[in-house]
Amino acid sequence: MSSNQEPGMRSYVGIVIGLMIIVGIEVILTYQHLSTRTLLFSLLCLACVEAYVGIMYLMHVKYETPLLFWTIFPSTLFVLVLLNYLWPDAYRMARMNLVK
Amino acid sequence: MNQPILATQTGREVTGHEVLMEASPYRIEKKKLGMWVFIVSDACTFATFLFGYGYMRVGNQNWGTPFGFSSILNGVVMTVVLLSSSLTMLAAVRASQTGAKASANKWLGVTMLLGTIFAALHLREWFKLIGEGWRLFYNPTGGAAQFGACFFSVTGLHLTHVISGVIALAFIARGYKHGRYDSTHVETAGLYWHFVDLVWMFVFPLMYLMNAAR
Repeated sequence: MSSNQEPGMRSYVGIVIGLMIIVGIEVILTYQHLSTRTLLFSLLCLACVEAYVGIMYLMHVKYETPLLFWTIFPSTLFVLVLLNYLWPDAYRMARMNLVK
Repeated sequence: MNQPILATQTGREVTGHEVLMEASPYRIEKKKLGMWVFIVSDACTFATFLFGYGYMRVGNQNWGTPFGFSSILNGVVMTVVLLSSSLTMLAAVRASQTGAKASANKWLGVTMLLGTIFAALHLREWFKLIGEGWRLFYNPTGGAAQFGACFFSVTGLHLTHVISGVIALAFIARGYKHGRYDSTHVETAGLYWHFVDLVWMFVFPLMYLMNAAR
């Protein structure tokens, strides 16, 4: 059950417009001739900001009991961190030029 | 025989065995908690697909960048449509919580329409790529063949979620209209819809912007 502190529709419109502006920034960054690594880092950071805002406000986690947040996020982040085990092998493949 | 009735933390009346059960420490409806569990598992599924794509991309020195500005523009329009649908979904949830059935159904209908437009734009991009010769395991420009597999599988998985969401919303809207479902069903469907929207916030930059011809 959500609490009564939920924002009104006007706030939601502001949040969604903010998300659209972030998408616009992503597109502008794409055409700034950044290095692939810098572009990837920038886009991922902006996507994480969008995801955080979306989860907290659009999906109402901010207005639920904190237990829900602490049950969901550490476990999901743990899985995402574990998935990073594959990068050393990807760089090894790139060095060996195995994939044609 | 009269069943004992208890009002829960969510204000819903329960009967039977449920009366003897402890209240949920999460203070949310069971169906909503179930949706959160599904969302966590689905987020891991998408993450696995995106990490797999990253693995192929990093491990390949000859990765193509097939998206011209028109494709990026199409992607931006798709993003705006999907974000707008999140807003209309919020309006549907808010209307259902205040008991405004007609308004809730109207906003659910707009959300379904926007979801359908998103799917149509997505398929248009797919057919454009297929028309240019891209296939699951074939790159017409002579570069890495894995691009097609990565792009079509990740965006295809997301497209499947959008189409499933539109179908689910249709069922929820119908049930809500006929009194079989209540506002918690609309809210739970809204959670799923926002999740699909948020996944696109990663799919668009990683699959489209990172593969834009610059």
